Amino acid sequence: MEEIAVSVENLFFQYPNQPNDAIRNVSFQIKKGEWVAIVGHNGSGKSTIAKLLMGLLKPKSGIIKVFDQLLNEETIWSIRKRMGIVFQNPDNQFVGTTVQDDIAFGLENNGVPREQMIERVKSAIQQVGMEEFLLREPHYLSGGQKQRVAIAGVIALQPDIIILDEATSMLDPRGRREVIGAIEKLKVKHHMTVISITHDLEEAMKADKMIVMNRGETMSEGTPQQIFSLGEKLEEIRLDLPFVIKIRNELKQAGLPLQLNDASLEGLVNELWTLYLNK
Amino acid sequence: MIIGRYVPGNSVIHRMDPRAKLLLVFFYVGIVFLANNGVTYAILTAFTLLLLFLSQVPFLFVLKGIKPVLWVVLFTFLLHVFMTKEGSVLYQIGPFAIYEGGIQQGIFISLRFLLFVLITTLLTLSTTPIEVTDAIESLFGPLKRFRIPVHELALMMSISLRFIPTLMDETEKIMKAQAARGVDFYGGPLGERMKAIVSLLVPLFIHSFKRAEELAIAMEARGYRGGEGRTKYRVLTWKGIDTVLLLAVAILAAALFLLRS
Ligand SMILES: Nc1ncnc2c1ncn2[C@@H]1O[C@H](COP(=O)(O)OP(=O)(O)O)[C@@H](O)[C@H]1O
Ligand SMILES: [Mg+2]
Repeated sequence: MEEIAVSVENLFFQYPNQPNDAIRNVSFQIKKGEWVAIVGHNGSGKSTIAKLLMGLLKPKSGIIKVFDQLLNEETIWSIRKRMGIVFQNPDNQFVGTTVQDDIAFGLENNGVPREQMIERVKSAIQQVGMEEFLLREPHYLSGGQKQRVAIAGVIALQPDIIILDEATSMLDPRGRREVIGAIEKLKVKHHMTVISITHDLEEAMKADKMIVMNRGETMSEGTPQQIFSLGEKLEEIRLDLPFVIKIRNELKQAGLPLQLNDASLEGLVNELWTLYLNK
Repeated sequence: MIIGRYVPGNSVIHRMDPRAKLLLVFFYVGIVFLANNGVTYAILTAFTLLLLFLSQVPFLFVLKGIKPVLWVVLFTFLLHVFMTKEGSVLYQIGPFAIYEGGIQQGIFISLRFLLFVLITTLLTLSTTPIEVTDAIESLFGPLKRFRIPVHELALMMSISLRFIPTLMDETEKIMKAQAARGVDFYGGPLGERMKAIVSLLVPLFIHSFKRAEELAIAMEARGYRGGEGRTKYRVLTWKGIDTVLLLAVAILAAALFLLRS
């Protein structure tokens, strides 16, 4: 049996002084080593879920378990050591005065001895390909570089789970590729569990599993192929489908007997020419 | 004043432990008051110039550092020249008389002030702000016993330092955005100018509060829970040269004490 990294059961959450629950009866499970994308419109509760998982917010009711450990006041700090999160705004999570100080911040908090810290900072910075920026001040880094530093700060802590809360949404295409590339490498190398919150469905296509949020509830859950076959339903909840999926849906409506719900351009091309040959 | 003035270098003074530098300035400020005659002032000046020389900071930077206070120095000088009525009269202009004692007092007091500024300028030119922060945290560490949040204050200082350029950028962006909407920051009547400033400050404050909140959440997510049980990545190391320079200050103090009148 595969190990479950995160398990959420009947989770409810309400912000103080708000009339409605921001999270309503959410349940899901994430396996160890899985890449899960959580998608949904603005305000659908994605960030709230991320904060609940990190124990930064306290649920109204429901259960959160991380590697079979129940999240509560006592376990919160040991669970936080197993999880890292990268937030949306590159500037508002950079604490250190230089790159190396920032990467070391989490290690300092956890009381890691200095010799070990130096090693870990060095290896973390290499894994995101920013060795030559070790002494650089944040002011002189691009958004993508800052996010890679944030990732380095997370992996220096050697967590089992990394959460990306729209970590690429404020970046240009190049910064985006850099960050996603760094994460893909990590996933392969350390068999890390990745929870990627995004409203970029192109990015979500890379995931093993997708969870679609709508107004604080999970609307559906499945592989990207299953999710993208929902078509119009996704557009109804204001999600912008990837280009290939849009074309596929249009072609289907035009009467082409397309079978698979492959989200890649290559898959579509292959299917089209085989269709043409079989005619 | 302290920020953005650091001149990178690898001199003896640059390599000193920032704690030693802070202590040196602290003691220096204390013993400046011992000087009260020509000889003692000469020794003090020589010592200060020696430190400046050792720091290898270009003289131009030092001048820039003291420029803003030159007027104060001049004012102090004139004030003493006209107010002191000691010794023989040198000049008599109508009801005003300039005494010999006045000239001497004027030179001494303004020199004292100048030396003061020189030594603090030397500190800020040869030490990065973060080094100063580390030094303060370390030197004031014992105060933790009296429930003074030394670690928290130092962290606040370092975070402020880190965010200064970010906030400057943001200020500039907001100014441009408001200028595009017709706000004039540089001209117009005073009332309009005040309104313009408000249109800058309000968004700046709102953004800063949002930043602060997000930063606090990010820090907590990375396991921050106060100074308790924390280790340090940056360390300060006290070297031989630090002891030597502090001893030099002690000798200077002794010399001033013996030679003062
Ligand atoms: N600090 C807060 N106080 C009150 N309401 C909030 C707060 N943060 C978010 N919300 C509300 O909770 C809902 C979910 O927000 P969020 O989790 O940030 O959505 P998402 O990340 O999917 O855009 C939204 O309706 C939002 O307005
Ligand atoms: Mg969000």
